[in-house]
Amino acid sequence: MAEAPIIELTNIVKSFGPVSVLKGVNLRAYPGKVTALVGDNGAGKSTLIKGLAGVQPYDSGEVRFAGEAVHLHSPREASRLGIEVVYQDLALCDNLDIVQNMFLGREELGFGTFDEGLMEREAAETLRQLSVRTVSSVRQKVSSLSGGQRQTVAIARSVLKKAKVVVLDEPTAALGVAQTEQVLELVGRLAEQGVAVILISHNLADVFAVADYISVLYLGQMVASVKAEDTNRDDIVGYITGSKTYNGVQA
Amino acid sequence: MTQTQTPPGAVTFDSSEPSATRRVVTSTAFMIAIVVTVLILLFGVLSPNGVFLSAGNFRNLALDSAQLILLAVGMTFLVGAGELDLSIGANVILSSVVAAKVITFVGGTPEEILAGDYSNAATAILLGFLAAVVTGVLFGIVNAALVNMLRVSSFIVTLAMMSAGSGIAYIVTGGINVSSLPREMQKGFGSADLFGIIPIPAVIAVVIGLVAWFAMTKLRFGVHTLGMGSSLRAAERAGINIRRQRVKLFVIMGGIAGLVGFIDISRFLTTNIQGHQGDALAAIAAVVIGGTSLFGGRASILGSMIAAIIPAILINGLVIMRVGSFYQLVVTGVILLIAVGIDQRRRAQSK
Ligand SMILES: Nc1ncnc2c1ncn2[C@@H]1O[C@H](COP(=O)(O)OP(=O)(O)OP(=O)(O)O)[C@@H](O)[C@H]1O
Ligand SMILES: [Mg+2]
Repeated sequence: MAEAPIIELTNIVKSFGPVSVLKGVNLRAYPGKVTALVGDNGAGKSTLIKGLAGVQPYDSGEVRFAGEAVHLHSPREASRLGIEVVYQDLALCDNLDIVQNMFLGREELGFGTFDEGLMEREAAETLRQLSVRTVSSVRQKVSSLSGGQRQTVAIARSVLKKAKVVVLDEPTAALGVAQTEQVLELVGRLAEQGVAVILISHNLADVFAVADYISVLYLGQMVASVKAEDTNRDDIVGYITGSKTYNGVQA
Repeated sequence: MTQTQTPPGAVTFDSSEPSATRRVVTSTAFMIAIVVTVLILLFGVLSPNGVFLSAGNFRNLALDSAQLILLAVGMTFLVGAGELDLSIGANVILSSVVAAKVITFVGGTPEEILAGDYSNAATAILLGFLAAVVTGVLFGIVNAALVNMLRVSSFIVTLAMMSAGSGIAYIVTGGINVSSLPREMQKGFGSADLFGIIPIPAVIAVVIGLVAWFAMTKLRFGVHTLGMGSSLRAAERAGINIRRQRVKLFVIMGGIAGLVGFIDISRFLTTNIQGHQGDALAAIAAVVIGGTSLFGGRASILGSMIAAIIPAILINGLVIMRVGSFYQLVVTGVILLIAVGIDQRRRAQSK
């Protein structure tokens, strides 16, 4: 491995009462690379990344960020390290506009009050870097946006503060063909900028289109972590459904 | 930056943002200001000799609406955050009772107090004021703590606190109002005027309203409040401590209720434990009429302040015209229904 992982999860365990959801999971993500996290419904993918985001801390296991052991107990701690998550359900504030959503919880202040100009410029600049054409309308309410636009705002929010790790939980699940392509392109662009991207998806075509690594979660266990170029669609389907076991070296 | 070629179907944002003028003219605060102006002109024309438009009558209107304006301002933050406080009437009563008890305890001998002549009036009034605000704030903290701990909606919690709060006020007073409070607090505060014409309580209401407007539109506090009302989950994930924000919101509401309790006894020199039952609903009505969404996420402090004048205008105008002031309740109800209808249509449109 040329580069050291920025995220290194070791032996992560998480239960909800008697239900054991994560049973000793390992996961790595590398700067500038897209790591796809796949697995069937209920495999534990969202649970794994909620721990990384600090919203649902793990029961046990080790989290290393850039080689250092860290504890993630709140969204603030995660975002201070530069870990940002775009959730499956998006969760934007419909009544607020694009700028307000992008800066919610980390507003730019000048003399204690909002620096509206600075926030508008940064929001527009971030959208532009993601090749979203917009200048005059960053003040649009989020409720008036389409699914793809909302996804874009959520992603733009995650990269606004120079995130080092961006986790996308099924970002294309609700999108049409053109908008899916657009979001995947955006994922590639994030990686180009040196961000470690963790992409959760059920769509293997999408995964193979952008992923450098593929990790497969099966019933709360990581059954395979491979380089995308060393595997194929059928093998991954086999790991996901549990009909095939991986015997190679974990990437 | 040159325009880049956008692939077909790409995510683009159109610039459908309305101009600033258009936003002001279509804002609920602006529309409600027109309604208020029309009401004032209407009563001006209809009242005998136009007495409704006299300076003295405007002074009455300002004094009569000051308390509701204050309550509506506090309620705007709560409703904007998707919360409610039904207990503010009980809070006003309890705060005023505690303040009145402190004033009579500190103010002088029982004989002096019965005669309404306090030897220690200044200290007593000051301590009474502090007691009212502290009681109000504590009431608010209890509300927020219960919502946070029980994980029950603030509707239920404050409904229970409305009952408990007025119950405590009855227990503390034995059901008998504390009266004969020092006249100094009426002359110097409750019915006092700035420049001989603007009632001090109205000045306080406007100043607090402007501070609230600033906090709502220019500070983190405001956008976090609206974020919470728009999507609790999104606000939480954005790193906003929603439990702490909730405590702040109820503390503001409680402190305002305490202040209103003090203004109330300063005006009338007696507590009013039988009154204030309609305060919470009147405040919520003003908030919704003023353009704040009952479902949270959108709020207008200025709209609430203007809408809070309507009941006073109606009561005052109807009394001047010798029509029973109870019609006020009917008219306010109708205006509230219209406002809710407009809110629903806006929500449907923005989907
Ligand atoms: N808060 C919770 N309480 C109890 N059980 C939970 C909770 N959150 C998740 N689970 C359970 O944990 C398991 C894994 O859920 P998770 O959402 O992580 O799956 P997933 O891999 O993201 O699935 P999907 O592809 O459907 O999004 C499921 O069986 C789910 O029911
Ligand atoms: Mg999931």
